[in-house]
Amino acid sequence: MKKLILFAIGIIFFTTACQQENQVKAKYIVTDAVSAYNLQYLDSSGELINETVYPESAQDQWSFNYMANEGDIVYVSGNYKDINSALKIMILLDGKVYKQASNEGDTLKYLTVSGTVPYK
Amino acid sequence: MKRLRILIMFVLLFVTVVSLAQPIVVKGTILDAKSHEPIVEVEIINLFTSRGSTSDKAGKFSISLTDTNKTKLSFHHLAYETKTIQVNSFLNQETAIILLDPKTENLDEFSIIGQFENDKPYRIEYLNQKNIAEAHSNDIGALLRKEPNISGIKKGALGIDPVVRGLKYSQLNVQLNSGVKIEGGCPNRMDPAIAHVDLNDLQGITILKGPFGLKYGPNFGGVLNLRTQRLTFYQTYETHVSALMGAQTNQEGYKTKVRVNGGGGKLAYDFSGNWKKYGDYTAGNGETVQSSFQQYNLTGKIGFKPADGHTIEFGIDRSWGRNIDFPALPMDERSDDTYIYDLDYLGTQIGKTINFIRAKVYRSDVHHIMDNKNRPFSDTVVSISDIRASNTGARFGINMNLWKGRLEVGGEYERITKDGERTKTLIMQPGLPVKVEDLWNNALIQNGGIFAEFQKQSHNIEWIAAVRMDLNSATSNPLLREKPNGDNVYQNENTSSQFTNFSASAGLTWHINASNELLFSMGSGTRSPDMVERFIILLPIGYDPYDYLGNPLLKPENNNEIDLGYRLTKNKVGQIYLSGFFSLLTNYIYSKELPPSVVKPQTPGVLGVKQFINIDYAYLTGFELTYSTPQKYDWKLHFNAAYTFGINPTVNGNDPLAEIPPFESNLNFSYSFFGNQLVPELSLRMVAVQNRVSIDYNESPSQAFTTLDFKLRYQFSKNLNVFAGVSNIFNTAYYEHLNRNIIGSTLPLYEVGRVFYLDLIIKL
Repeated sequence: MKKLILFAIGIIFFTTACQQENQVKAKYIVTDAVSAYNLQYLDSSGELINETVYPESAQDQWSFNYMANEGDIVYVSGNYKDINSALKIMILLDGKVYKQASNEGDTLKYLTVSGTVPYK
Repeated sequence: MKRLRILIMFVLLFVTVVSLAQPIVVKGTILDAKSHEPIVEVEIINLFTSRGSTSDKAGKFSISLTDTNKTKLSFHHLAYETKTIQVNSFLNQETAIILLDPKTENLDEFSIIGQFENDKPYRIEYLNQKNIAEAHSNDIGALLRKEPNISGIKKGALGIDPVVRGLKYSQLNVQLNSGVKIEGGCPNRMDPAIAHVDLNDLQGITILKGPFGLKYGPNFGGVLNLRTQRLTFYQTYETHVSALMGAQTNQEGYKTKVRVNGGGGKLAYDFSGNWKKYGDYTAGNGETVQSSFQQYNLTGKIGFKPADGHTIEFGIDRSWGRNIDFPALPMDERSDDTYIYDLDYLGTQIGKTINFIRAKVYRSDVHHIMDNKNRPFSDTVVSISDIRASNTGARFGINMNLWKGRLEVGGEYERITKDGERTKTLIMQPGLPVKVEDLWNNALIQNGGIFAEFQKQSHNIEWIAAVRMDLNSATSNPLLREKPNGDNVYQNENTSSQFTNFSASAGLTWHINASNELLFSMGSGTRSPDMVERFIILLPIGYDPYDYLGNPLLKPENNNEIDLGYRLTKNKVGQIYLSGFFSLLTNYIYSKELPPSVVKPQTPGVLGVKQFINIDYAYLTGFELTYSTPQKYDWKLHFNAAYTFGINPTVNGNDPLAEIPPFESNLNFSYSFFGNQLVPELSLRMVAVQNRVSIDYNESPSQAFTTLDFKLRYQFSKNLNVFAGVSNIFNTAYYEHLNRNIIGSTLPLYEVGRVFYLDLIIKL
């Protein structure tokens, strides 16, 4: 009986050991644009998505949420053609700002914010 | 929290000491029933209390008993049949003589010849299960560093790479269960062979120094044989369950192990699993060192006896490593997935001439993934390396009684493959461009060898001679590194090579009298270049900050070594063993800087490119001194001291060889209370400054240090063993000479500061 109990304890150790990878809530937020802009971002499957966004004002917010694993690349890149426009990109992990960047009136360069989800 | 843990640890130990009775000491000598030679390291178990003792070099033992009327003693040794005796039957004798019958089945070549095998004329270090259990270590390399003239290259949380007498990597023949080879995936050796085996699964480690054990495969500098738990065939069906649980302060974490083994006369089985998770540690200077890791494995072994004297065993070891920190390397190990399969046959009782026939088939598969995601550089480029390595092999040997000695002949074959690539994602560039480059390009090395070893014992001299021949071939797809625009940085299509290597050794042990022995060996061991030396493509894998380039046309290197030893064994004095060696290394594999006009470095921050080359010769010389008090005393003292010195006469007028550990000595003192039930031990380690450093490798000197450890072994009951202790009592800030620097800096990788630990072993 003792042997069985010990063996059961061992099994519990091993079943609890094989947990899933830690996940975090990833959120991309893009604001400040007054006219159309192009976005590229990575989704939960690691696919690079291209999208054109049409904001109505600088207060309009584009966002995208997904669950990311530790070590995943988070990536948002955008640009616009309107010299009067601007972009602010933020990446939040579990509700906290992980990386952000912004620019104004720069129609040439892509504004890119990226990184990897840190290991805890 | 830390204080509470310490308090609980010591209260537990204190409380359990209370109810101990005064013992009666029984003494005896254990002899081979046929040869009447003393048998060393027989395990003597008191079946009434389950407490035990072991026999010394002269076969002598003593054990304390509390009730001689009820007590039976059981005598266990790998090479002998177990014997159980009622204590009353020899209580009136001053010294009891116990005769054990040799066991001729279910033994590997490291133990089958018993005492004869152990008396080789060259230096062999043995670590048994007791040494391993008491070590409180998670790394086989860390455990080995306490042995004389064995050190290790540390780069991170695990995988300390052994260095024996100044020789390392594939200059050492590292194997599992007398023949299984494991090829690691990482070019920077995050995962040397020993990193794929759990220390808690080991029953013993044998380290054979020098180019002498030629029957174990091509051997240039030494053989490290890791032995996992052996299968036991019981006379009647039995099942045993045991568990290990351990925790510690500093590098906080825990380990657990569960094992179930048993069987009967025809069938035996052994299943176990290990689980470990540890965090970062604090060094003696308060610095936090990244050292977290997670590791778990499952093993299974089944054995059959289809007929008397014939045993077939099949084993599987599946292990996982996750998120292992390597602060001294540009990447961390993200995952390691390893499979080891092993099929063994051992045949005995075949005839008068044949002692045994053994055969083995094995395969090991390693899937290694590493990345730089925890490094600052990953803000611009995320690099992921994904490598698969495999080793498939077979061994065969037959051991015979011939010409009044023992002749063993056989052969083995090994096939190593490696393939993998590095994916670089440029995460700050629009469109996330991805660049893929080969790290290994379908690289293949094959080695087939045959050997013969003859041992003979005449009067007071034992001698041994061995020869082996190996055919070695290697090939790879072209070595190619391209720039982002597609232009070639380096290309080499001439990647095939073939060699025929010869090795030979001879030696003798002269038993001058009952106490004094002289040992002499000379050997010439040859090894072919390994995967890295042949096929690495511009990666910073060395001690110095250079990109390294393989050389498919490298020649094999050769170790011509002479060993001389003297051993004094006296009942009242103990044993003193002094050994010295001198090695002339010819065609020594070294490295040479290439001009930028030939090839430019590809790693940011390195100084240039070095390519592996052969140099004419280099030297290594050194000694080991060990002293142990007689086993018969309750107090025991063990001392060792060792030093190795290597020079390369072809560079800078005798440049010291790089990564040679300094002079080191260890002193252990223990006392056995209550018949070995409670054993406290103090261990003092003194390591000298290392100023003999290689200028050619930009090697830095290292400081001297002294550490003191305390450990306590307490046998609470027949079901529970407690191991507790404090390592690095004075919280000394120190680092080993062979610890690599933190990547991108000149800061050393400091060792862990003070650690309190508690391990429990439960057996049912």
